[in-house]
Amino acid sequence: MMQIINFIFWLVAVPFCIGQIPAYFLPEERNGDDTKRNPGVIFLAGYLLMWSVFEIIAVPAVILIQYDNFLFVLRWFMAAAILLSAAGILLWYVREKRRREEVRPVLLSDLVRHKVRPEVKVEWLIFLALVGFQLYMSVTRASFDGDDAYYVVQSLMAQQNGGMYKNLPYTGRSSPLDVRHALAVFPMWLAFVAVKADVHATIVAHVVMPLVLIPLSYLVYYEIAKVLFASRRENVPVFMIIMGMFQMFGNVSIYTNETFFLTRTWQGKAVAGSFVIPMLFLLLLWLYAGEKKREKQNAGIWFMLVCLNMTAGVCSSIAVFLLAILLAAAAFCLMFVERDVRIPVKLGLTCIPNVVYVLVYLMLK
Amino acid sequence: MWGIFLESVVIFKNYVGFHQYKFLFVIYLFFLFYLLLAEKNRRIRAILVYAPLLLLVCFFVPLFRKVFVRLLNDAETYYRLLWLLQMSLVSAYGAVKLSGRYRKTGLVVMCAAIVLCGSFVYRSEYITKAQNWYHLPEEAVEVAKLLEPEEGRVMALVPADLIYYIRQYSTNINMPYGREMLIARWDYYNDMYEAMEEAEIIQTASFVELTREYGCHYVVLKKERELQEPITEHGFELYAQTDTYLIYRDTQLGTE
Repeated sequence: MMQIINFIFWLVAVPFCIGQIPAYFLPEERNGDDTKRNPGVIFLAGYLLMWSVFEIIAVPAVILIQYDNFLFVLRWFMAAAILLSAAGILLWYVREKRRREEVRPVLLSDLVRHKVRPEVKVEWLIFLALVGFQLYMSVTRASFDGDDAYYVVQSLMAQQNGGMYKNLPYTGRSSPLDVRHALAVFPMWLAFVAVKADVHATIVAHVVMPLVLIPLSYLVYYEIAKVLFASRRENVPVFMIIMGMFQMFGNVSIYTNETFFLTRTWQGKAVAGSFVIPMLFLLLLWLYAGEKKREKQNAGIWFMLVCLNMTAGVCSSIAVFLLAILLAAAAFCLMFVERDVRIPVKLGLTCIPNVVYVLVYLMLK
Repeated sequence: MWGIFLESVVIFKNYVGFHQYKFLFVIYLFFLFYLLLAEKNRRIRAILVYAPLLLLVCFFVPLFRKVFVRLLNDAETYYRLLWLLQMSLVSAYGAVKLSGRYRKTGLVVMCAAIVLCGSFVYRSEYITKAQNWYHLPEEAVEVAKLLEPEEGRVMALVPADLIYYIRQYSTNINMPYGREMLIARWDYYNDMYEAMEEAEIIQTASFVELTREYGCHYVVLKKERELQEPITEHGFELYAQTDTYLIYRDTQLGTE
């Protein structure tokens, strides 16, 4: 029971509280219909900020601390997460005092506020059944992947021995720092959750992580759908059903991000493919596809974009490059469409964490 | 340059599954071009159509691939560039947009197309019914439990089919070699691996010499594995057994 409470605390409550910080800077929406500053987005923002902070603490520890570096991360990340959560709660209190409006759950609020036709409700139920099926399968089915002998064992080594990236996971022999993998500290975050919940890291990876990461990705797609179908909300559940079907039938090869999403959910690269990359589409759509807003109103979105670039580094070193490439391509296209040369400059500035990451990578290589 | 281009084509074909007659990518391409023509919001077009299209073209440009591979020092992960296309996102948006007022019909047709052109992930040969909470084969967990020391670490030599799993259960069990030996294209060499897996019949005397060189406290063998002489004649004792495996302990080595 305590383990479940710990999971809820570290995987739901803490990210939600931390998410109040970027949410404070997200734009207020027109007509009081708070579509950006809603619990779903707060949760997403919380994960981005939490993983970014984890990177700031864990990467220097990996590089600079010789012994028991994971114990250092355990201590300092816990302190940082609690502090940020407290700050988030404080900001939420300040904001709510000002607005005097209650926060309602996003999906329910949509159903309550807008009169939803019965057929749309049925479509939502079909989508929820699809996600439920995927979650059920993630718990009851084992997916073999050779990379687990690396990533999951890295998490387990941290949990059982208190060190990060000091030994070769395949054999247990001590080894020089494997820079390419050591900078992507997602397995260490997984180990952190495992230690806090006092559950074996392999169980956390294979059973608990899909229960969190699969809904998290669908939350991103849901927010994207809200932007794309802003004027025709009834299309959102249809879009979500198609997304769910695509994930389940996207296994056309072992390489697709859909395959990674459902068979290697707990690995950082899968998170990069199914959470980080779609999240970039969402932030770009928020920044450029909606109504033009004053820069100050978009501060929270820019902040999330910086955190997203950092999160890419947490997931995998290749994700850092991939995100930068996508950002560059989108900036280039938007520049031509908008005839605004400032777009690549502004988007480029959010890649500063990626540049630092690459410099550290090159220095250590 | 032509060679690099052809390599990219092969990577692409392997990614989209054309060789297995899977055509989800055709659906994606259809909706990408549909959105190119039908999407009126130029910013959405830039983000969801132009940028992926540009990246798709870049994927086949030899110079782009050369720079990518040089920067990452890794040619094997080039396919991940295709993740940036977000096939599902673009296809779903295009499908809903095309359906217009005929949402239900559009949904049914799209789902049918996905089922026909795709491949159900849970039918994958890599997915099996979980035998325990670890999602590891039950017998691998059983062996690992027998090997796991109460304190300190042990070195255990295990057959290839257990290599992936033992250290996912306990990292206090070290191994003389690991997964790196099972990936042929990585081209590693290990004399212990050669003696354990490549020899038709294990040459017990030299094999035991090697296990001692590597400090193996335990040797796990499949029951049907042939040995020139019983390993028990060389200072090992039968420590435990499972349905498939015999676990021997070296009586001449203590644990750490």
